[in-house]
Amino acid sequence: MSDVAISTRGLRKTYRTRRGRKVVAVQGLDLEVPAGGVHGFLGPNGSGKTTSIRMLLGLVRADAGTMTVFGRPVPAQLPDVVGRIGAIVESPKFFPAFTGEKNLELLAEAIGAPRARVGEVLEQTSLGERGRDRFRSYSLGMKQRLAIAATLLKEPDLLIFDEPTNGLDPAGIREIRETMRGLGEQGKTVLVSSHILAEVEQVADTVSIIGHGRLLASGTVAEVIGGGTAPTVKVAVGDHEAATRILVAAGLTVRADGKYLLVEGAPDPADVTRRLAHQELYVSELAPVRADLESVFLELTEGEGL
Amino acid sequence: MVRLTKVELRRLMARRLTAVGLAGLFLITILLLVATWFDARPLSAVEQQQAQQQYEMAHKDWGEHAQEMRTQCEADWKTQPDPKPKLEEMCVYSEPKPEDFGKPPTVFAQIMPELLQGSSYFLAFAAFLIGASFLGAEFSSGAIGNWLTFEPRRLRVYGSKLLAAATGFVPIAAVVLAVILFGTFLIVDKLGDTASTTGKVWGDLSAIGGRAVLTTALAAALGSVVGLLLRHTAAAIGVVMAYLVLAEGVFAAFLEKAQPWLVKLNFDAFVRHGAQYSVTECKTGSDGSYICDYVQKTLSFEHGAWYLAIFTVVVVLLGGWVFHRRDVN
Ligand SMILES: Nc1ncnc2c1ncn2[C@@H]1O[C@H](COP(=O)(O)OP(=O)(O)O)[C@@H](O)[C@H]1O
Ligand SMILES: [Mg+2]
Repeated sequence: MSDVAISTRGLRKTYRTRRGRKVVAVQGLDLEVPAGGVHGFLGPNGSGKTTSIRMLLGLVRADAGTMTVFGRPVPAQLPDVVGRIGAIVESPKFFPAFTGEKNLELLAEAIGAPRARVGEVLEQTSLGERGRDRFRSYSLGMKQRLAIAATLLKEPDLLIFDEPTNGLDPAGIREIRETMRGLGEQGKTVLVSSHILAEVEQVADTVSIIGHGRLLASGTVAEVIGGGTAPTVKVAVGDHEAATRILVAAGLTVRADGKYLLVEGAPDPADVTRRLAHQELYVSELAPVRADLESVFLELTEGEGL
Repeated sequence: MVRLTKVELRRLMARRLTAVGLAGLFLITILLLVATWFDARPLSAVEQQQAQQQYEMAHKDWGEHAQEMRTQCEADWKTQPDPKPKLEEMCVYSEPKPEDFGKPPTVFAQIMPELLQGSSYFLAFAAFLIGASFLGAEFSSGAIGNWLTFEPRRLRVYGSKLLAAATGFVPIAAVVLAVILFGTFLIVDKLGDTASTTGKVWGDLSAIGGRAVLTTALAAALGSVVGLLLRHTAAAIGVVMAYLVLAEGVFAAFLEKAQPWLVKLNFDAFVRHGAQYSVTECKTGSDGSYICDYVQKTLSFEHGAWYLAIFTVVVVLLGGWVFHRRDVN
């Protein structure tokens, strides 16, 4: 078995809008998703995540580039690997007038899965009795669970979730997160797209960040967000001028941010308090500033002239 | 492909619109039989008596005046300008017959072909509508995208859907037509005349019925393609209605010569094994008069069959090509 679940090279897609305008959605994307574990596929809205996923699934035709899933070129050999892929693209879409169960039965029959599997996956996703209600009547969380149940019909090795927590309440978000974590721990590959870093950083083993349809960074979460450098801390202190002088003299970068100072370059936050206390400047508040995706993204795209 | 077609058939039969459509077909069938029954009812004793009286009066009148009128007419004929109509056509006063009065009995062999043809229209319409919504709903709900992540081979998906729509309507059309055929036979057998129903008549009727089953299946498949192309049931119905009104109605009225290329006439020619249509032919006579005539023409069965076959193949191929290339959201 190949240790790369998904790989794309030079993937490209331009849409034509109704008015004939061209929209470049993906431009030369090189993506590599290792097999096993959860991989976050991050990028702001409109950066081409959904389009890339659709191309991988053969729903949208790529203009250029190559893709493989489990080492098989897709979409050419997609029929051979599709049984190993479970995917939910954007919001779950089923036949609204049919019950959840009926929807699953049709899918199961189409792929030749045994009928009993439907009951099992309904139980697994705790839909149970609600499976007999029309899909139309489901809450977003239930629709999401039905979609997960559908992917489980195939017992897939690769699961693709496109912004699965969009519109869910905190309980729903946690549930999805736990599902993804569980699948990752079972050794399955989970590709989860999101525009919110916090949403995936707790579960993702590795991430890829894209912007304007291009890969900007990839690696483990720490590698990508930290960029290998020391974290930034936010400091509240009485005398800004004096504190800045001291910290700059110590080789740190300091910026004012309202009533706080943002200090970069300290390998250990204790360093900051110690130096200031030494000069009788006492820190009343100190917090690490977590790089969020937007700032990492902005940082990453700055140099690109995008 | 067989498995997929079975799944699609199951989906077709589980849809509410299919159930509603079937109920509608059932209702129309019943109404049609009831109407036939009313039509075939013989006159009441009072009405029969009135008809008899009218006949006797007419016959008496004829006995008294026919000779006189004939003489008068012949005299008139002599004074007619040339070219004269034929004397035999102008001056006919034939003896009234009792069967010309009152209601003639309903003859099964005469009414049945019309009835089957009429049924073929509403069957085709229902099949088209249900077919269009079968695929239109799939696209408008977005369920097709999910479906394709289970079976990405588009042409199989396409084929299975059309096949399901078409084959699903074969038994439906067959049952509806059989009920109408045998129901009418029973009614007419009781109230009218079925004596002339020879083996050949039965053969012709079942051939018409068989072809109506086929056109229903085709309509279901074509409806599916149009639903797929337009991605919306309502849009599909709208387009077809507009076509029927504009092309088949308005256009045909202005451009009579185009009739052999319209769907309706070819449909009739196929189902009825030949169809009549009329065009106005005008010519300037030797004396400079401008005369227009309705001329009856026949569109052959073969024309209809080829037309429908080519039409279907083109539409199905077009739909397949579009679906094969289309980005699905
Ligand atoms: N069907 C479409 N037609 C035209 N433009 C599209 C279509 N789908 C997406 N786009 C455009 O392509 C870009 C990428 O969209 P998308 O892949 O949905 O991004 P993301 O999922 O990262 O938010 C956006 O600018 C979007 O407007
Ligand atoms: Mg998206």
